[in-house]
Amino acid sequence: MNATYIQNSIAQLKTEIFMDVRHRTLQKYTGAPVLDENQLFYLLVPFLNGEEWQQEQREAAITVGIVYAALAAHDHIKELDATSKEQQLTVLAGDFYSGRYYEILAMSGNVALIRNLSQGIVSRCEHQIKVYEAKQRTVEQWCSSISNIESGLIAKFFELYALHHYIPIMEKSLLILRLEREWAMYQRGQKSLMSKVLEQSALQTGATFNSVLQDKIARLKTELLQVIAQASFLQSDVKQALQARVDASIASTNG
Amino acid sequence: MEKMKLKLLYSDLKSDIDIIEQELEKAVNSSSHLINDASLHLLQAGGKRIRPIFVLLGAKFGNYDIEKMKNVAVPLELIHMASLVHDDVIDDSDMRRGRPTVKSQWNNRVAMYTGDFIFARALEYITKLEDPLVHQILARTMVEICNGEVIQIEDKFRLDQGLKDYFRRIKRKTALLISSSCEIGAVAAGVDAKTVSHLKRFGYFVGMSFQIIDDVLDIMATDKELGKPAGSDLLQGNITLPILLLKDDPQMQPYLAKVFAGTLTELERQNMLQYVRKSDAITQANKMSDKYLKKALQEIDALPKHPIKKKLRDIALFMGKRKF
Repeated sequence: MNATYIQNSIAQLKTEIFMDVRHRTLQKYTGAPVLDENQLFYLLVPFLNGEEWQQEQREAAITVGIVYAALAAHDHIKELDATSKEQQLTVLAGDFYSGRYYEILAMSGNVALIRNLSQGIVSRCEHQIKVYEAKQRTVEQWCSSISNIESGLIAKFFELYALHHYIPIMEKSLLILRLEREWAMYQRGQKSLMSKVLEQSALQTGATFNSVLQDKIARLKTELLQVIAQASFLQSDVKQALQARVDASIASTNG
Repeated sequence: MEKMKLKLLYSDLKSDIDIIEQELEKAVNSSSHLINDASLHLLQAGGKRIRPIFVLLGAKFGNYDIEKMKNVAVPLELIHMASLVHDDVIDDSDMRRGRPTVKSQWNNRVAMYTGDFIFARALEYITKLEDPLVHQILARTMVEICNGEVIQIEDKFRLDQGLKDYFRRIKRKTALLISSSCEIGAVAAGVDAKTVSHLKRFGYFVGMSFQIIDDVLDIMATDKELGKPAGSDLLQGNITLPILLLKDDPQMQPYLAKVFAGTLTELERQNMLQYVRKSDAITQANKMSDKYLKKALQEIDALPKHPIKKKLRDIALFMGKRKF
């Protein structure tokens, strides 16, 4: 398995997701669904590692991707002014994608995954909304929320198909990648709501956003390398790919 | 007065409706206090609970068990609630049922997460039922509702549309979810296919009649009764039946031009409402609603003999004649 094979697998999954949620008007005004290639990669790791991947698992992975696209659409709604046609249709795009994931799983009778993903969405919304709550939280608590936002739904999918052993690697990797994105944006002067609350929590302990994030990323990377090294169920080329994904992100962030 | 009438109509089902209300509160319970506040804010604003009622009434034709049926009735109401939260973002509405909307009390993003939360809770609830048919009906309905909303946005401020466009819109906007409530309730209770089909059609016709009345009330009712300015639909660009019937009226056209240009003054809004209220369009719209209501009653006649048929008829008649 080489980088091209991985990239082709991600591209194919992306195409299948696009096909399942295609909608002429929505696409015209809101563009293609927003998909995070890193999330798609970790969604596919069990497949790349040779786990059983029948039509059911393939369809399940597609629907997980659709749910992420639905929630990502709603993340794009502006806090105070969503009156443009593009924003109005973005609200509906998210709702349409949610309807489609449910419809696909209902047609194949996969009620268990509908249940798992619904629970995952409930939890994700509860974490997403915390940035609007007045309650002071620690950096660790914010990282736990980020982890849920980034990887909770993939974890729900892995749990259902007895792929639990992939969860720690996926969670740590996606957390590292998100923190690096937040860090890079912060350096460019673009503070997201999440980086603002992280900064507040860092300041509460007398630290800075930069130091807290860099420490956290470094610690997570060390832990991740250990987990990957100890993961006897992973094929060596998959281990390399996992390592490369995080390294590539660091390179692009620094670049 | 009207709410009292509705309560009286529901009196036979009161204990079951109380269970649904309690269950709705449990369903929106969240570890996030913000979601809790926003969801309870919505629940406390009330509502007619039409969808859960029709789930229960549909189920009465089969093996009725409230412990099972609440897992269908609650999600149907939650889906309706979630769609209202998102609709208020789309329509930029500050008031609903006389209360500030989630988006105005907090912000659009909070409204999006609250809607997504409620929607996901609805699906979590209904997965207590394993029957794939239940999920297939509901999922198709949800996708169609979205398609309807997309069309509604495309049709906004467009006068080159006909009655067919309007009926296609309200079918997806309202009638489908009411129809599916009747259908899913019946399917979940193991009702035979022929009866399910009549109930489904009954729900569709009632839903069409209900939405036409809703559109008439948006013009006929007072700001206070509506909890928002009368004529809001038109102000947001939604061409409802009474307006569609008047779109070529020379006296109406200057008002429409000002609405579309966003220059209608408060006095002109009042005058425009007075004009529409006195016009024949209201009578015609009411007649069209009655036509659907009649069809709904015919579907009831085709249902097997059952004491609940009278209740279905009473509720349908109330919905078709309501004044709020």
